[in-house]
Amino acid sequence: MDTSTVVVPDQQGRWKHLYKALTKPGPFSDEDWVPGAETVNALESSKILVIGAGGLGCEILKNLALSGFKDIHVIDMDTIDISNLNRQFLFRQTDIGKPKAEVAAAFVQKRVKGVNITPYVGKIQDKDEDYYMQFKIIICGLDSIEARRWINSTLIGMVDPEDPESLKPLVDGGTEGFKGQARVILPTLSSCIECQLDMHAPRPAVPLCTIATIPRQPQHCIEWAHQIAWQEKRKDDPFDSDDMEHISWVYNAALERAQQFHIHGVTFQMTQGVVKNIIPAIASTNAVIAASTTSEVLKIATSCNPYLENYMMYAGEEGVYTYTFEAEKKPDCPVCGNLARKMDVDPNMTLGEFIESLGERAESQLKKPSMRTEERTLYQRFPPQLEEHTRPNLQLKLGELLENGQEIAVSDSAYTIDFRFRLIFK
Amino acid sequence: MLKIWSMKQQQQQAENAESAAGKKKKKVTAAQLRVQRDLQELTLGSTMKMSFPNPDDILNFTLTIEPDEGMYKGGIFNFSFSVNQNFPHDPPKVKCTQKIYHPNIDLEGNVCLNILREDWKPVLNLNAVIVGMQFLFLEPNASDPLNKEAADDLRTNRDAFKRNVRSSMAGGSVRGNAFERVLK
Amino acid sequence: MADTFTAITGPSSKERKYDRQLRLWAASGQQALEDSRVLLINSDGPLGRDSTGVTGVVGVEALKNLVLPGIGGFTIVDPAMVTEADLGVNFFLEEESLGKSRAAETCRLLRELNPDVQGYSSAKPIADLLQDPEFLPRHKLVIISGPTKSSSLQPLCQAATELGIPVLYTHSVGFIATFSLQLAAEFPIVETHPDPESTQDLRLLNAWPELAAAGAALADLGSMDDHQHGHVPYILLLLRFLEEWKQSHDGNVPSNYREKTDFREFVRSNARTSNAEGGEENFDEAAAAVLKTISPFSLRSTIRDIFEMSECQLPTAESPDFWIIASAVRSFYSVHNVLPLPGSLPDMKAQSADYVSLQNIYKAKARKDVDEVTATVRQLEFQLGRTTPAIPEREIEVFCKNAAHIKVVRGRGIPQITGASNAATIKTIRNQLGNPDSLIPLWIACQILDAVVDDIQTSGQELQRSVDDEELWQTHTDRIVNLIFTDDPAALSHEAREHIDEAILELRRTEGGELHNIASLAGGLVAQEALKVLTRQYGPLDNTCVFDGARSRSEMYRL
Repeated sequence: MDTSTVVVPDQQGRWKHLYKALTKPGPFSDEDWVPGAETVNALESSKILVIGAGGLGCEILKNLALSGFKDIHVIDMDTIDISNLNRQFLFRQTDIGKPKAEVAAAFVQKRVKGVNITPYVGKIQDKDEDYYMQFKIIICGLDSIEARRWINSTLIGMVDPEDPESLKPLVDGGTEGFKGQARVILPTLSSCIECQLDMHAPRPAVPLCTIATIPRQPQHCIEWAHQIAWQEKRKDDPFDSDDMEHISWVYNAALERAQQFHIHGVTFQMTQGVVKNIIPAIASTNAVIAASTTSEVLKIATSCNPYLENYMMYAGEEGVYTYTFEAEKKPDCPVCGNLARKMDVDPNMTLGEFIESLGERAESQLKKPSMRTEERTLYQRFPPQLEEHTRPNLQLKLGELLENGQEIAVSDSAYTIDFRFRLIFK
Repeated sequence: MLKIWSMKQQQQQAENAESAAGKKKKKVTAAQLRVQRDLQELTLGSTMKMSFPNPDDILNFTLTIEPDEGMYKGGIFNFSFSVNQNFPHDPPKVKCTQKIYHPNIDLEGNVCLNILREDWKPVLNLNAVIVGMQFLFLEPNASDPLNKEAADDLRTNRDAFKRNVRSSMAGGSVRGNAFERVLK
Repeated sequence: MADTFTAITGPSSKERKYDRQLRLWAASGQQALEDSRVLLINSDGPLGRDSTGVTGVVGVEALKNLVLPGIGGFTIVDPAMVTEADLGVNFFLEEESLGKSRAAETCRLLRELNPDVQGYSSAKPIADLLQDPEFLPRHKLVIISGPTKSSSLQPLCQAATELGIPVLYTHSVGFIATFSLQLAAEFPIVETHPDPESTQDLRLLNAWPELAAAGAALADLGSMDDHQHGHVPYILLLLRFLEEWKQSHDGNVPSNYREKTDFREFVRSNARTSNAEGGEENFDEAAAAVLKTISPFSLRSTIRDIFEMSECQLPTAESPDFWIIASAVRSFYSVHNVLPLPGSLPDMKAQSADYVSLQNIYKAKARKDVDEVTATVRQLEFQLGRTTPAIPEREIEVFCKNAAHIKVVRGRGIPQITGASNAATIKTIRNQLGNPDSLIPLWIACQILDAVVDDIQTSGQELQRSVDDEELWQTHTDRIVNLIFTDDPAALSHEAREHIDEAILELRRTEGGELHNIASLAGGLVAQEALKVLTRQYGPLDNTCVFDGARSRSEMYRL
């Protein structure tokens, strides 16, 4: 029969497959879960934040929109570069130079009816806790460890034991070449980015003296041109790795040095790779990791199946290999293992008296502490220059030094760990 | 989502933790906390001093070394330390702010010290770095130099090297390079 | 054509666009992609009463991931018209696409992703298109979206086998995805990209004359100053200490673990510690390298197996280049008892000039080995009377460099559970069913779905019966489970049956429908396999993958 003429009238609408998964229990879904309209509603009312509109971010935005989420925000500070086009499929040649977040948001919003995507062009650090508080779940597709650590510690700091809405699950993805990982972090409850830091080995660095005097590899010549020759010859010109003239200069300087030492293999591509610390990236790996993160977001938002606990690594060089395991929460994690404890204090007490009281309190017994807030050094016992400068603070009242509810961090050499206290004025 | 919150409540009950009132303020960052501890645990000999242009910003400071023995005795050497928020994952960035004649410090102030780069580990602290810096003035190392000419001098003619150190510290020139006066 | 780098102009705009992937598969891999057209067969008729057919998102997403890195072209075959439900799962359709040909609309929007890629579409059923004998050979890879009825799938796979075209057969239903890769009976790969650590081949115990001479020419260590002593490349140190060791050990090199650790201590004890650093980095490197490098050359068993294959032993005029070169390398091995030297040298503490001259010794030897293999290749080409153009020198060089890590995958067909299934496949499935954590029940559930759809489509009941028809599922579940345990029905445990039923329940939750996340994830995995197959680099799936989106994990099976 000629199947091309068959048109089956559609009654169930656009989301029929998705709604079936949300309105029917499955063998692996939680027994307490009630499928149905309430679940669909939970999905559609969940506001989601996407951090990064790059290789993962483009995929994540598409996946969330086609998972029925209606209110999505996206943050990215970058603009579109030609080298993004091999995988960041929401961008075209004509978009080069435009902000990623805006172009990506506009594209997905136009393509998928009924979704609202709000872009923000800037850094995640521009935003405060009030901003992050509005979201149900936060999903990260970043290439920077530093940004991940920032959002991780921010979300952990936001958890208020009296407010269920303050706990924002963080779903994080990352890729490199054919490899990647997806992880689910429940701030303060499960292993966090900081607990898992040692899983990312830092890139091995070459000794500066090798670069300066005994280069052996083409990379050594490039590092020399980038780190030493540039400083010497173009001191007043801040190096910009996106400026082709700068890269060309480094390339030529590296080439010249390589010839001098009879070293082969300096290429323009290698120069860019070394100078910009380029990580290979392809569409397919991004698709795998982005989809596994958004699948977890869907499961967390709707409970239609169990979510990942808590780490899935993927390697695609040799067949399809994944390993799913539970990364452990570190009791001595400097971020989630060290949450601020509430402490009631008299705002009329001086800092000196407060320090003395810390030594007497049974729960702390801190005899020789140094302490600070995020913006201010309150008292630092050593080195002497800081001690002298902060000594006058000892006479000041807590109410003059701090705001009610502010967090202080305390270090005492007698303890191997540090303490955080949130001071509540009585 | 509900399930997650009930987990949190169980955890709270178990710890019997209390909650804080009022709006949250900015938290002390992990890097700040670590530097606070590292500073408190420093051992500065009589040959070293630190200064903080902004005492509330403990991530940026200057270290001054005044060697009391060795070839660099009598000099005052300044190093800027810059610690980023990724500390202690990243090492501190250290530069000599003066132009000096030293086999392991180039004319731009870059310092070749293994623990500042290839051998840095998060378990190392600022004290380890400062001890390493001090050692560079007691035992300049000709084997893996940043300033190759100074290293060649040290290797081939130790006396000439010593003379060059003295003259550079006094603000003289060595091999056509004028150095900054760093004597007390 | 790829432009070459020049100092003046820098990379071309194409190199800039593809920069992040060229770092993985280089210009040769890119060229292979650009020479490839991929065929996607995305639906083959309605699945049942309430369904126009597979929504085919896995295939579309896979194409997205292939169009972006710049395959030469693609063809989408899909007789379906765009419905509302398509718009809820397929990103490469828009409101205006409703009611139009899904193949044409998807093709149009995919082409927007990369102007360098040719896109074609057809709304005809695949059976019609196969009437044209030139249709299939235009493609280098076929992706088929399941479930597809046996009467379409079988002839297609058969035709692809005859033409040596790889096939990927995919399913994405609810939270479950599976796919299988059909490869030719021999699928050789030269550029397997092994871990750089495992590719080091320094030949310290098989030193050729120039390397041995460099070791012997090393001046007396005792007379060196600290600077020289601390900069002797560790390879020369090891060669020197090996000679000393042999003198005190009846001419023998350290051969067992105990001797090697003793030798390591011996190396360490020669380091100077009275210097400013209190030790020597080159001696540390030498000591660290002892266990890994002080071993005689040995041929890996996978390479030995390849040497023993008849294609390698008895090449013909028609043999692919791979086998001609493999045969020449085999001759090289039979003469020298080693493979051609890869020629790369790891970085090590050394003065620039010393390192470069040591590197040149390795490079020159590698060059010499390539020349020898090339001479044998030329001889073979002549003897066999090959009419194809001479094998490019570059190809021989790449082969020699990778000789220790080449791979030949023994391809298999798309696995199916039928009365004629391979006994080994059935055995693997049964073994897996004995493991309570295995994902094989999900694959079995997809097989049952295939059978249900096949039944509906071949009985002409598309418009009467639903893909969720309880009776159909019962019948085919029992039938397929019986096929697995046909010789020993008692071997089916209660737990195994429960796991199969559970998998079926999860699969039936969406009544055959795709969820975008899972389809997109599978599309990523499928594209990854397509890239490896088309570039002939890295290691392809052998041969079936199951992804469980409910429990966030995957497994591979050889079925």
